[in-house]
This record gives sequence, C-alpha cells and structure tokens, in this order.
Amino acid sequence: MGAGYQLEGEVIIINRDLTELDLFVKDFLTVLNRHSDYLIVSGFVSISTGRTRGTEDVDVLVPIMDENKFRALFDDLQKNNFWCYQGDSIKEVYPYIQNLQNIRFAKANEMFPNMEFIPINKTKKAKFFEFNHPQKIKVQDFEFKIPPIEFEILYKEIILGSKKDLADAKHLRTFFAKIITEENFQKYKPIIENE
Amino acid sequence: MNDLDYVELYARKIEKDNSLFKQQRKLIESQFKGSSSLFRNMFSKDFKSGARRYLKERGLL
Repeated sequence: MGAGYQLEGEVIIINRDLTELDLFVKDFLTVLNRHSDYLIVSGFVSISTGRTRGTEDVDVLVPIMDENKFRALFDDLQKNNFWCYQGDSIKEVYPYIQNLQNIRFAKANEMFPNMEFIPINKTKKAKFFEFNHPQKIKVQDFEFKIPPIEFEILYKEIILGSKKDLADAKHLRTFFAKIITEENFQKYKPIIENE
Repeated sequence: MNDLDYVELYARKIEKDNSLFKQQRKLIESQFKGSSSLFRNMFSKDFKSGARRYLKERGLL
C-alpha cells in the first residue's frame, strides 16, 4: 500500500499499473506526437487518476493544421492500425478539421474506445488557454499532458455540468486536495466563464 | 450516502491507498473486453461499413 500519487518536480506521478485503456491512448499519442502537440482533456483525466467509471471516448485537443500536415498524420495513424469514423480518405475527413468539427479514431476492428480528436484554434479561448498551460502526468513509462487540475475541475463544473462531469470534478477536487490551490481556481474561473 | 458522497469517499481512499487502483483496472478492462467482443461479433464481415451504418442510425455520425 502506498500513496495514490506524488509530485516529482512539476510532473504528477500516478502510482498504479497501466491499463488496456492507457495502452490504447499511449499508442495514439505516440503517432500524434510525431506530427503535432496535443492535450488530453475531460473523462480520461479523471479515469487516469483513479475515478472508477467506464468510458467510450478519450478527448484530445489538437491545434488546427493544414491539409498536408493532416495527411501525414492521417496516413501514419492508418499505418498504425487506427481507422477514422468519418472516412478513409483525406477528401472525406479534412473538411471536418477545416470546420473545427471533431473526428474519431479507433483501433482496426474496434468501435470503442475511440480518440475524439478536437481541432482547436485561438477562437476557442478556454481550450486554447488550457492547451498552452499543460500539466504533465505520468503512469509508469506513459507520460502525457493534461490541463491544470483546477482548470479541468472548473471546466467540468461550469461548462459541462452533467452528473458524470460533476462526479469527475468531485473526484479531482478530493484526490488532488493537497496540490490544488484557491489562487489557481480564481485565476482560471474568468477564462472558463468567458468561454 | 449519495453518488457524489461515494465518489468523494473513494477518492479519499485511493489517494492514500494505491492498491485500490487494481479494482479500477478490473472495471476498465472488463468494459474494454465486453465492448470489443460485442462489436466484433456484430460487424464481423465488413467492420468499418457496419460500424459506420450503426453510428449513423444512432445519430452519432
């Protein structure tokens, strides 16, 4: 028996083994990282830190990219055994990116879990802010980026607000009680309220 | 005790005792395997076409 997490420098270390869901996300981020920066948001942040609930999708913010850059990413994902719900060609899928619409990727011959790929630009102010203020988190050898914990809590409480989101926020408030600060809540609240 | 009280209690416990992550892992992987098996069987002939048709019928695509 040990603590659920600790801070090592600026990285939150979660003291648990990897799950199959982690390995799925890790596979996707390994490919994505070759082409773009990213931020994991929403349910997976809570689940990866101990919230006991299932999920069908893992949300990832990705800055909007031009067609050539997206083609390279799309081809790499397909080579690595991912398929896209919205189509098999750039012609079908890139318009979603241009219009800042979400697309989804799952492993070949699987429907769930899927990665919900959320294109963002500066017009998405809150999302753009969290993207630019990442918190590193690590489970075993899997390191990835999430929003500041206080930002994630407030986003779930103020913007999303479903029963599931409020429970996720409660989990994060409690689990990370030792490291979250009122100062950060005050700093992030107006950014989220202006979304 | 309501749902949020339970979430809070569990978060308090898992923050102090990481052995509880084992229970969480079982739940996550059970859902993972159940979903995989269900949809592989549903769309065994042409997975992508079947999956897209299923998603469209439910307004998810």
